[in-house]
Amino acid sequence: MRCALRGAPLEQQGVETGMAGNSGGPWGGGGGSGGGGNRGNGDDNRGGRRPGEGQQIPEIDEIVRKGQEQLRVLMGGRGGGSGGSGGGDGPAFGRGSIVIGGLALFVLWLWASVYTVAPEERSVELFLGERFAVREPGLNFAPWPLVAAEIVEVTTNRTESIGIARSGGGDAGLMLTTDENIVDIDFEVVWNISNPEDYLFNLAEPEATVRAVSEAAMREIIAASQLAPILNRDRQIIADTVQQLIQDTLNSYESGINVVRLNLDRADPPVEVIDAFRDVQAAEQERDRLERQADAYANQVLAGARGEAAQLLEESEGYRARVVNEAEGEASRFAAVLEEYLQAPDVTRTRLYLETMERVLGGMETIILDTDSTGGVVPYLPLNELRTRGN
Amino acid sequence: MRKATFIIPAIVIVLAILMSSVFIVDERQRALVLRFGDIRSEIEEPGLNFRWPIIEQVVLYDSRIQSLDTAPIEVTPSDDRRLVVDAFARYRIIDTRQFRLAVGNGGLREADRLLEDILNPQIRAVLGADGVTSNTILSSDRAELMQRITAQARALAEPLGLDVLDVRLKQTALPLQNLEATFARMRAEREREATDERARGEEAAQRVRAQADRTVVELVSDSAREAEIIRGEADAERNRIFAEAFGQDPDFFEFYRSMTAYERALTGENSSMVMSPDSAFFDFFAQPGGRAPVAVPAPVE
Repeated sequence: MRCALRGAPLEQQGVETGMAGNSGGPWGGGGGSGGGGNRGNGDDNRGGRRPGEGQQIPEIDEIVRKGQEQLRVLMGGRGGGSGGSGGGDGPAFGRGSIVIGGLALFVLWLWASVYTVAPEERSVELFLGERFAVREPGLNFAPWPLVAAEIVEVTTNRTESIGIARSGGGDAGLMLTTDENIVDIDFEVVWNISNPEDYLFNLAEPEATVRAVSEAAMREIIAASQLAPILNRDRQIIADTVQQLIQDTLNSYESGINVVRLNLDRADPPVEVIDAFRDVQAAEQERDRLERQADAYANQVLAGARGEAAQLLEESEGYRARVVNEAEGEASRFAAVLEEYLQAPDVTRTRLYLETMERVLGGMETIILDTDSTGGVVPYLPLNELRTRGN
Repeated sequence: MRKATFIIPAIVIVLAILMSSVFIVDERQRALVLRFGDIRSEIEEPGLNFRWPIIEQVVLYDSRIQSLDTAPIEVTPSDDRRLVVDAFARYRIIDTRQFRLAVGNGGLREADRLLEDILNPQIRAVLGADGVTSNTILSSDRAELMQRITAQARALAEPLGLDVLDVRLKQTALPLQNLEATFARMRAEREREATDERARGEEAAQRVRAQADRTVVELVSDSAREAEIIRGEADAERNRIFAEAFGQDPDFFEFYRSMTAYERALTGENSSMVMSPDSAFFDFFAQPGGRAPVAVPAPVE
């Protein structure tokens, strides 16, 4: 049943051949499903099938005969008595074999009608082709041939990747933005099935439909967006909008598909221009660097200037202190000397003069020249020589 | 025994005829019953159906939504730019009789071909219509354009027995020849941006440096002014102190200060002095009685 999901002979051409085979002979019951796949070969198949089945019939007869013999033994009858079917014992053995055969058929029918559904699956049952019921996981019963069950994996997440082919060199992921830039987008659509009936009955090619709808939705949204926001801040908005658009479109087909999420793997400029985009980033960093370097310079220079200014002020304050102190010291010294001087002005004056001269002249080389004794002759004084000798 | 040999094949044959006269139309299918090529009935609902064996044939059609992806075509919107466009359509068979008549034996493959032949001119017509520029296509008006294509395609596909549910544009790209030019333009835009960034960085850096330099000059000169003011005040204070002190006896100050100056100025290693015995220092050098003082001689450096 599971393979019937995809392999069902739904292409009308194949089915037509199958039905033609059906009407062709008593073996058509098998041909209806077997011949569906190979269109145009129906005639050959029909020709080739008969001999094969003709061979099978004697084997079946043999098995039946063996079974009959065993049965007879079981029932206490005369074992191995007849080559054909015994005339007198016919009814007794016939009743038994009918019961056993019926039982076997019942088991066979039960085997065909009972099936299991795994946790991630749901089963859609068709009653004579008409939608009938959706069954939950567990053991289920679909009486053959009235009810057919088709099992669909419902909760399993399926993924369609779109735009990945770009790495191979195609332009699958390249999309044009509204400002006529090109952006390279890779994304994945993860989906599962919300309504297995709709999923089975409404969409012929679900995967292809999800792909096409996703690509169209993404291109539609990208075509209405500017390049720059796509690359960074609008990524999530775009993913959400596209997911919503995909879901709406799929809902309009009553596809029974639920878009779980949309992974926007990549929204980059195309490889051809990505260097230029990286250069812009580098330029932004460089701008930042230049500004910071200038800030560093400013900080350094300003600190230096503040230091210098402080130094100037402190120096001047120091000067003030020194000058005033010196002046005050000198003034008070003078005042003290003056007080003594006033006690005895003449003596003190002469003493001061002489003492000063003593100190001054005592420390230096002194040449005493009597101008009167030279008598008008200009005396020769080799000052340089005197000085070098002094040294 | 004789009966059984006849009855069993008879039952088998009757069963086979019965089996072949019964057919199930699935939820996903619609069916046409043909009697020697004549359409006898259309079966629209799923369920168990009957037909005459041998003389009637049943053709089943898929009634699910089919997909069609068109090959890319180049369209020229009214601004004469060329765009490569491809679309996909979703359609289903709604009228099996019409479908059979229009498509014949070709089935869905033929229907795809016919529908693509309908779609491509419609895409061209709608995207090339007056007032539709490439900017319109690359905007949110795109949804409206797609609806127009859908509406027109639906009208044209109806005679084929098809219901076009949806036509959507997938790719609206530039032709390959224009791609390189667009890349070049994008690169140039980025380069402009990068250059602008760098220039702005330099500008800002220069501004910051210049401001810093200016602030340095301001700070230093400001404090230099302050310093000069302080020095001036100090000098004034000194003068005041001196004036106050020395003003008590200007005559003695003159003498005292001269003495101090001689001492400070002339005390040193390298000074030598040529003196006349007439100088005041030598008043008692020649004459113990003393004489009137003379001017102090000039020092020789």
